[in-house]
Amino acid sequence: MSAISRRQVLQRGSSASLAGLAMLLPPELLRRPGERAPAAARRRVAGEEHWLVFTRHEAAVVREATARLIPGPYDDPAERGHPGAREADVVRFIDTMLGCLDHSPQKVFAGGPFSNRAGWPVDDMAQFIGLTSSQAYGWRIRLAAWRQAYRAGVVALDDLTGGDFTRATDTERDRALAENPNGFTTLLFGHAVDGMYSVPEYGGNRGLVGWKDISFPGDVQPRGYTASEVSRSDGPDPYDPEGPGKALVDLIRLSNER
Amino acid sequence: MRTRVAIVGSGPGGATAAMVLAEAGLDVVVFEKGANFFTDLTSERPGTVFSNDELKDDRSFAEPDSIAEPRVFRTSPSDSNPFVGAVQSLPQTVGGGAVHWDAKTPRYWDIDFQKLSLLGPLPGAAVEDWPFTYDEIAPHYDAVEALIGVQGDVASLPELTLRHAPRSGNFPMPPGPPQYSSLLAAKGARSVGLHPFPAAMAINSVPYAGRPACNDCGFCSGYGCPILARIGALAPLRRALLAGAEVRERSVVVRVGHQGRKVDGVLVMREGGGYYREHFDAVVLAGNAIESSRLALLSELPDPYGTTGRYVMFHWFTDASGLFFSERLHAYRGRDHTHDIDDFADPDFPGARAAAREAGLPYFRAGKVEMGGTDRPLGEAHQYLEILPVLSPRKPFGVPFKKLMRASLLRDRLLGLTLMGEDLPYATNRVDLDPSVRDWRGHPVARITYSPGRYELAAQAFYLPWLVKLLDGAGADVSIAIPQDPSKTFPIGASPVIDTEHVMGGMRMGTNPRTSVTDGTGRHHQLDNLFVADGSVFPTSGGHNPTLTIMATALRNSRQWARSL
Repeated sequence: MSAISRRQVLQRGSSASLAGLAMLLPPELLRRPGERAPAAARRRVAGEEHWLVFTRHEAAVVREATARLIPGPYDDPAERGHPGAREADVVRFIDTMLGCLDHSPQKVFAGGPFSNRAGWPVDDMAQFIGLTSSQAYGWRIRLAAWRQAYRAGVVALDDLTGGDFTRATDTERDRALAENPNGFTTLLFGHAVDGMYSVPEYGGNRGLVGWKDISFPGDVQPRGYTASEVSRSDGPDPYDPEGPGKALVDLIRLSNER
Repeated sequence: MRTRVAIVGSGPGGATAAMVLAEAGLDVVVFEKGANFFTDLTSERPGTVFSNDELKDDRSFAEPDSIAEPRVFRTSPSDSNPFVGAVQSLPQTVGGGAVHWDAKTPRYWDIDFQKLSLLGPLPGAAVEDWPFTYDEIAPHYDAVEALIGVQGDVASLPELTLRHAPRSGNFPMPPGPPQYSSLLAAKGARSVGLHPFPAAMAINSVPYAGRPACNDCGFCSGYGCPILARIGALAPLRRALLAGAEVRERSVVVRVGHQGRKVDGVLVMREGGGYYREHFDAVVLAGNAIESSRLALLSELPDPYGTTGRYVMFHWFTDASGLFFSERLHAYRGRDHTHDIDDFADPDFPGARAAAREAGLPYFRAGKVEMGGTDRPLGEAHQYLEILPVLSPRKPFGVPFKKLMRASLLRDRLLGLTLMGEDLPYATNRVDLDPSVRDWRGHPVARITYSPGRYELAAQAFYLPWLVKLLDGAGADVSIAIPQDPSKTFPIGASPVIDTEHVMGGMRMGTNPRTSVTDGTGRHHQLDNLFVADGSVFPTSGGHNPTLTIMATALRNSRQWARSL
């Protein structure tokens, strides 16, 4: 990410949405990059220890596992300055999702038309929209399967790490996740992504850290974009493909040759 | 007593028919299976709960739930592994398919309406002329464009487009701001001799009919418009309501009653459970090509030649992507894309006739290309999840994932092209009722049997390299065109079903009851008071977005129904 695009994101936010970002950020993120957060702070990032669906241990395993899948500054030194699933409170998002039918209205579809992040005085998105009978039927089945997968998935991750995933080393955690027991890592990663980059009303993307890390402004109604923002270049932002990006480019080139 | 008409479906076709019939003085009830996500539908600018929320869209907020209301897809009757789930899901909500669209509204061409007589037959396909010509439908196009508010610029349209779809005047509104990504694509298109132009779209570029100009929030294709700068089917629906029509949301028509050559009413399931019968003097099916065919089959409407549900067509979409290493293209701002080319819809495109002959075809066409779109963060992230085991086999998560998200090759640095290929009517491509899968209400679901023919595949193969050439000309550092093919040639983006939401055919218009279901006005051949007002009446698919033509056809046909009812 270049300084240019980051600056533009912050400028755009200055009218309403992202100006207060620094204040919204968990204090841990303002620490020096790479510095290990104290245990109490790491818990606080994940919110209160009250869960709709998870047991305390399940929540801890899901928090630590998603932090391996989408690591932040305390999970991988390479992610200095780049918040991850822990900072975005992805575990809260997942618990909210698994318990979404226990709310009234159910927490499946956030409201609209606007949040209060782009110049609208109230957060309409915080008022969820109740399900139709058909949707409620589908979600009951979907959630029953997911809840069971989480129960079993946490047990499997514990088993693969000598009994307690949360006490395992990073290497052991990664090895367990790479095993993808009964497809649990795939399911968890998908949900972690949803919690990382969705509107924060669903419980994740706390402080908009997910969007900030990828220079995405998120929802912009009712302000929208100006004609100039739509039609003109933001300026050079060179990227030299390396690592997985280079692998992707190579794969495309190889595929074109075939 | 006024004549009572039931219209099944509140999307573009149903709403247009409702407007015409209600304004003709008929007593119209519009049944909508889904919920209503708008406030007062009689106001110029209703409020809504649609929003810039990608997860809401991923969770099928306004579309059928894939568990509660699945469909079945198979490539042939001998397909041993049919897919059950979301198949070509269009919105199921008041406003229908015109709720989720980015409202591109090109006209079909003269050669679409007279494909058989102007271009000739094709082996294995039931190519027909439409019951009307371009000249006859043109005034209805004008009327619909004014009704829903279309932006565009006649002076920028290529000669090819104007030759095949001439216009009596300019568009109701000028084009809005061009997207940077689309401008790059337009440059690329020109560099290889193609003819880009600002796309026609039913989105306000200036305040129009009491609604605001679009502010380019970027959540366009796939999303309900939060500010109603895109009104779609709600414009005719409003006029229907003002003329006395009623809209009943969350009301599922599960059977159409009939006796002899007449339908006599509908059986409706309420949201809370329980059914009721209601008498109507006429019924209009407008649930979309798949659901109207399904309802006809569920109702066991007379079908002496087994034509109901046949000749179903989906545009054969081919995606291409150019990746840019020098800058970000921010295609997440805007109206999905703002520029098109029509060159590939021309059967006489240089080299196309020769390539067709080589494939054993007298000719082929693909269709228009939409230029400049991209994905959003959740869509991008889920693509990386799919491909990370290939890119980073030792650690398919963690830092490699986050690096991909920040580099954003598949979103912020991506320029997307979508080619919508014409899809021929084949008797073997059809909708019927699945013998075992039922929806949550206990009714058999639609089963789609579909495979492309030689025509679609040959046209795709011919135009694929052109998409790459165009992207190279636009300045992409690396480009890829991904054929739509269940054989999965590239490890991402592969879908078990044909990836399209353009659904047509199934109850097509025609003069011969052996090869069509409805007559030259969309009236059922076997039932004098049953009409069809959605894309299922299309005899051929064209190579352009179908909704404007669905509305213009519904307008033309329902004006004739109004005279007979």
